[in-house]
Amino acid sequence: MSVSVPTAPLVAMTGISKTYGGTLACDDVDLTVRAGEVHALLGENGAGKSTLMRVLSGDVTDHHGTVAIEGRPTRFGSPHDAQRAGIAMIPQELDLVPGLSIAANIFLGRELRTRAGIIDVRRMNRETGDLLARTGITLDPKRHVGELRTGEQQLVAIAKALALDAKVLIMDEPTSALSPAEVTRMFAVITELRAAGAGIVYISHRMEEISRIADRATVLRNGRVAAAFATADLTVAQVTEALVGRPVQALFRTEHGSTGRELLRLTDFALRPRRTRPGRREPDGVSLSVRAGEIVGLGGLLGSGRTELLETLFGAGTPGRRHGELRVRDRVVRPRRPRQAMRLGMALVPEDRRISGLALSHSIRANTVLSIVDRIAVGGYVPRKRETGAVRRVVDELKIKIGGLGDAANTLSGGNQQKIVLGRALLTEPSLLLLDEPTRGVDVGAKAEIYQLLREAAGRGIGILLASSEPAELVGLCDRVVVLHDGRSVRELDTRDAGEAELLAAAMGEGRTAAAVGGES
Amino acid sequence: MSEQQRTETRPEPAEFLPGRRASVVDTLFRFQSLFGLVLVFAAGIVFSPVRDGELIFLSSDNLFNIVRATAEIGIIAVGMTFVILIGGIDLSVGAVLGLAAVGSAVLMVNNGLGVLPTVLIVLLAGLVFGLLQGIASAVWGIQAFIVTLAGLQIARGLARIWSGGQGVPIPYGDGPGKAPVAFSLLGERTFNGLVPIPAIIFVIVAALAIVFLRTSAFARHLYAIGGNEKAARLSGIPVVRVKVLVFGLCGLLAALAGIIHAGQLNQGSPNDGNTYELDAIAAVVVGGTALQGGRGSVVGTVAGALMLGALNYILGLNNIDSNVQLLIKGLVIVAAAGLQRLRPTP
Amino acid sequence: MPVRPRTGLTVTALAGVLALASACGTTSENSGQGKQTGPSQAACKGAGGSFTIGMSQANLSEPYRQQMNDDIARAAKGVPQFTVKFADAQQDNSKQVADVENFLTQKIDLLIISPNEAKPLTAVVKKAYDKGIPVLVLDRKVEGEAYTQWIGADNVEIGKQAGKYLAEKVLPQGGKIAEIRGLAGSTPAKERQDGFAQGIQGHNIDIVSTVDGDWLREKGQQQADAVFKAHPEIQAVYSQNDPMAEGAYLAAKAAGIDQRLKFVGIDGLPIPSGGIKAVEEGRLSATFVYPTAGREAVGSAKQLLIDCKQLPKTQLLQTSLVTKENAAEAYAKGNS
Repeated sequence: MSVSVPTAPLVAMTGISKTYGGTLACDDVDLTVRAGEVHALLGENGAGKSTLMRVLSGDVTDHHGTVAIEGRPTRFGSPHDAQRAGIAMIPQELDLVPGLSIAANIFLGRELRTRAGIIDVRRMNRETGDLLARTGITLDPKRHVGELRTGEQQLVAIAKALALDAKVLIMDEPTSALSPAEVTRMFAVITELRAAGAGIVYISHRMEEISRIADRATVLRNGRVAAAFATADLTVAQVTEALVGRPVQALFRTEHGSTGRELLRLTDFALRPRRTRPGRREPDGVSLSVRAGEIVGLGGLLGSGRTELLETLFGAGTPGRRHGELRVRDRVVRPRRPRQAMRLGMALVPEDRRISGLALSHSIRANTVLSIVDRIAVGGYVPRKRETGAVRRVVDELKIKIGGLGDAANTLSGGNQQKIVLGRALLTEPSLLLLDEPTRGVDVGAKAEIYQLLREAAGRGIGILLASSEPAELVGLCDRVVVLHDGRSVRELDTRDAGEAELLAAAMGEGRTAAAVGGES
Repeated sequence: MSEQQRTETRPEPAEFLPGRRASVVDTLFRFQSLFGLVLVFAAGIVFSPVRDGELIFLSSDNLFNIVRATAEIGIIAVGMTFVILIGGIDLSVGAVLGLAAVGSAVLMVNNGLGVLPTVLIVLLAGLVFGLLQGIASAVWGIQAFIVTLAGLQIARGLARIWSGGQGVPIPYGDGPGKAPVAFSLLGERTFNGLVPIPAIIFVIVAALAIVFLRTSAFARHLYAIGGNEKAARLSGIPVVRVKVLVFGLCGLLAALAGIIHAGQLNQGSPNDGNTYELDAIAAVVVGGTALQGGRGSVVGTVAGALMLGALNYILGLNNIDSNVQLLIKGLVIVAAAGLQRLRPTP
Repeated sequence: MPVRPRTGLTVTALAGVLALASACGTTSENSGQGKQTGPSQAACKGAGGSFTIGMSQANLSEPYRQQMNDDIARAAKGVPQFTVKFADAQQDNSKQVADVENFLTQKIDLLIISPNEAKPLTAVVKKAYDKGIPVLVLDRKVEGEAYTQWIGADNVEIGKQAGKYLAEKVLPQGGKIAEIRGLAGSTPAKERQDGFAQGIQGHNIDIVSTVDGDWLREKGQQQADAVFKAHPEIQAVYSQNDPMAEGAYLAAKAAGIDQRLKFVGIDGLPIPSGGIKAVEEGRLSATFVYPTAGREAVGSAKQLLIDCKQLPKTQLLQTSLVTKENAAEAYAKGNS
């Protein structure tokens, strides 16, 4: 098959500028995307990537500079215009309707109809099944999107974009919720699209992905183009340096410190829910332990039950009967509410800070002290000074970059939002910290800072149980990693002598029989 | 003005504009919830009929009339603000008001109770009614809309049964079949017959609610639940307990309004307070509280209630046709609610 | 710079207000111990004066009350000295109290009120009366004597005449009928029922079914549906108002028995959807006019303010029978 290469690039954006209030979000940015290439767009949060892409997808219309599609200068009046011009975007905040089925979401606004004019559900379901197969997952097209987990929703969003047969596909951190295997499958889809002559703009924080998939890359910093290069020419370290504008030390420096007494011990821990909720993988035979001063990783594929385990430990999971044993500081406990778990010294940093971490429209102050307001209150009254003191302490210690304490949480970058959630957990002075994907959607700089904070916390004797879908994070940060598969702990790896490859293999379920139920018993 | 100062002087957690320099416009928008009231008030002055060189609208008589007429809706709306702040709704308040009015009349007239026991029993009944609705909603997970819609029917039914289906008149005096004269104070005015007692009660309730919402830990919990219930739960907030208590408080305030209603009208009728829930919701929303919860204030609600109350009087004073009045009121409510969206976007 | 209000101060101030409030004496307004003054003849300024009249209506969504307002407006047009302001309480006692207060603020010269309920409106009517403003109370009464004149009709009497008519003219041989009542517990429903019972006394009329139609057409239809199923032998329907009678007629029509049934209603409003038209068009056999008292109220106001005459405390209005023969005439008269 010969693809006739047009002389003009698929997309040529020149001199794009856009201001919000007094801030320059984009300042004279150029970007070209050719047919058949994957163009990586890099930059820390707030560097201007999203604004640039909102211009391209017709969401921002009052910008300076020109956008040319296949050589023709174009000015989109709405996202709809951009879609008609063949530009599709998979935003980070997925635009799916939770109450509709997967098929209904994919064909939203352009439903297939039978000759009688009735919506052709059967054909939509069939075609959805094909699309999903292309993205490499098997899901029932009739299932409601709201029941799916974040990663699965991400894949549905990709399938939705595929259905548009777009010439230009913008993907904003498409892999942030995917398991390694799913990432591989998605990359296969990208390769397929690229061969068909589509241009792809790929936004990601994961350096290793950029070198794996992208042809060229543009790095934005403070709204300007900081560097543009072919990815083959550069190393991860160099890209990272271009990103933050200064050399960064290696992200991970695992120090296997001395550990103290055992804080948490699970023995064949399982939950039989009173009513099963679709799309959830409840704990089904988990054995692990966390000691004071130790960072224990929780690995496994998407749907292996990491989140469910943390929620159950924290008393926030599905109600049901527990089996096996859960001990906190040698005492058998069964927390049924987060409040009880907190009294036992636990704190949880939940998976999705926007959905379950923050009241986004509320102030930084209110969000930060939320867990301790009743503790600092005197007779029900919250003294302003003590409250401000506590918030200031968190902001200073965690180096959170904010305007004022009264600013809404949604004015902050992802990294700073995550630090607020972390800071709130630390304010409760926990002995056992449960973290669920603590660096998802966080830029490189903030990521390093969060790792540092976690290591410091461990150094102070806090035990940490950290669930992550990033193998590098698990291997680099944790002392040990417990791998879950189908809600069961299948392997335990010591990161001193095991790497990402072993972790992946364990997560895929290989060697499951050999490891039986972890290395505990 | 320094950043430090600015953050120090802010009221409720959700009311501010994020991360902007405090310009005149921004400062102005901090009082956004009062816009509607100010505009309606200005309209009242502009269109006020003049008699003997005096603007009738601004006469103390008229102003106190407005506050008195707003008192019941206002007190209900304060409770409604709490419920809406946690992302709920309470459709039963009008019916609970009716139940409380009937209760006040029946307990004093038919059962010969004194004022204090009557008030206590009726308030307790309202509280319990609200708590039960809260339990149904928060513990059993039935939507507040449905729970309180059912509550509305149940309260009306109870009121009909308790009253025998008819209004129970309250005659004052001593002896059987009469209510203590003290209860009639609720319909009277103090300070040389100028300030209506219900207005004073309203002001006290509002002031307490404002202070409570600004300074208490409970209020923080309540805002957090409305802002993001899941985050609140994972932050260790006793979500169920807070919700149940908020519904209880709303029922309590509705009962208080019902007692005042009975005192003002010398009667407790099972039909009292019909559709008051809608007026209260309108006052809350017009005052800038978001129906989805987490954002709003009692100051706004009080302003909203006074605004709607003042509007009634303005339309009346200017002798507007009553059918046209409905039209104007509807438009003003939409406009005032729209005014709350004028906030400059960050 | 915006300053956080001193909440502590507010509370203190409030406490002060409260203490003062309890220290100061309160004035009596509704405990029934006020001085009995009432308007004097000073209200009368003769033909040279000009007068603002406030009309406080209980609920304009009832056609009967809309008609009352229309009658007042039409009659007042004939008196150049009168300006009438209208307020609609929307069936809410509190709103009606506020409406009257609003009239007082405007310093009206005369108050016409059709109270939503007696007891809750008594205090505010007395307040107006004590301020020297003449008060005409229409249809429903208020308690006590603090008003100038009550104008209205006697529901017992109307019910009685309806009963007599049904017994003597519709079913002279006697028969079985159904009664559709208004809103349970309301005074007019009870009075029209009692009166009707008196009217049919001594005749061979058997009320086989009594149901509540809440004054509403759709409720009347619903109830009649069930009644016709249960008692197919019914020969006539007595409905306490015309809309419910019309509802019953619709039910009969649906059941195919409208030709052999007779319907008698009350109210006889001279409007297109009213009972007079229904009689004229043959759906109802008869209706009894329940006078709105609107025209009479303006007449009384004129006697009092312009002619400087004393008014009797009560002006009782008579009903009139509307049948097919006089329906057109009655309709024209009602709109003159």
